[in-house]
Amino acid sequence: MNLKFNNKLITGILTILPANEVKFEDEIANYNFSEAKSLKLKMAMGYNTHRIVEEGVTISDLCIFGFNYLFEKEILKKEEIDAIILVTQSPEYFMPPTSNVIQGKLGLKQDMICMDINQGCAGFEIGLIQAFMLLEQEAINKVVLLNADVLSQKVSKRDRNSNPLIGDGASITIIEKTENKNSIFANIKMDGTAFDALIIPAGGFKTPSTPATSEMIEDAAGNFRSLNNLVMKGDAVFNFVQKEVPPMIDNLLKYSGYQRENVDYFMFHQPNKFMLQKLADKMGVPYHKMPNNIVENFGNASGVSIPTAITFNLGQKLIKEKYKICLAGFGVGLTWSSILIDLGNLDFCEIINY
Amino acid sequence: MEAFIKKLEGILEVDKIEMDDVLLDFEEWDSLTSLSIIATIDADFHFSITAEELLSAGTVGNLIKLIQVKSKK
Repeated sequence: MNLKFNNKLITGILTILPANEVKFEDEIANYNFSEAKSLKLKMAMGYNTHRIVEEGVTISDLCIFGFNYLFEKEILKKEEIDAIILVTQSPEYFMPPTSNVIQGKLGLKQDMICMDINQGCAGFEIGLIQAFMLLEQEAINKVVLLNADVLSQKVSKRDRNSNPLIGDGASITIIEKTENKNSIFANIKMDGTAFDALIIPAGGFKTPSTPATSEMIEDAAGNFRSLNNLVMKGDAVFNFVQKEVPPMIDNLLKYSGYQRENVDYFMFHQPNKFMLQKLADKMGVPYHKMPNNIVENFGNASGVSIPTAITFNLGQKLIKEKYKICLAGFGVGLTWSSILIDLGNLDFCEIINY
Repeated sequence: MEAFIKKLEGILEVDKIEMDDVLLDFEEWDSLTSLSIIATIDADFHFSITAEELLSAGTVGNLIKLIQVKSKK
């Protein structure tokens, strides 16, 4: 469905990445493949280093670290925050919401909304759409969107399908009201019939974790994982992205009335370099307009990948300049969503290490 | 189809493939070659096939037949 928002603005983006860097080469021995084959995979997919949290570090650690950075620099004031939206698939508890935990630890006011949303690859778009809707309220003037995941903890180290690309991280995006009349255009689609294309099969109420669900099993391709681990149907996800994303962007541009050539950057979710290059080829977008360098530098931290792509590739440019940016997230759900937005003149746009 | 066969030889890193060659038996076969073939078919013939369809085709010849059948649809 198509969505349109007026008088809303992103005013800052901060990405928080764990300082711990793991190299692809250091994990090759875990995989049941020859070194030559794994190095070929590295080249094609753009695997190199990824950021992984130290054991015990959770999403609230990363988020609170980022908040404190903004409070100390006096870029953000506690009392201004009217809502926290946390998009994550690595909550600290089934109950309560992790956004409440973060609010409590930060000592924020009670007169506010905290909300967890279970979404992944399209989590930046879902979070922004939710933020825009909250800002329709008179009482809400500033929304903080948190995207945070530490899914490396759920990926088998012996799974060459998912382990090389996974990354951990968090991002803080500030969304506010503005007098500026430029509309923000969005669209979103869902297909729950393919709910198992990306899934952690066990650990929820349907299949609780037991000793049996932690048994490591080899799949047809030679990867080892248990039912407690994240599993991805790589080919199904690839086909889904190539089929659904190009027409989604066509529809978004048609709905907004903008020409493809007038879009400065296509800041897309970062599954791997291979998939993004094939997507750019299919859409006729030059590679320099669609960055694909996040997996090779940091790994794919789900909904954090777009804020990371923006802060890494544009960073300080977005403090002074303004660009027409097309965002698109696609994956778990299945969910796919895109947003056409003016981004720039930000109060902050950077990456910090935890 | 000749252009596709050339690409297939490149992906599988062999000088020449035969129609009765078994896909799984290629030295280079793994999830990356499988995905590369799926991506090539998507780019050249504008339809998608799954990794399962690819595997159940078995031989190069059957894969070509599958592509020809799907192209006509």
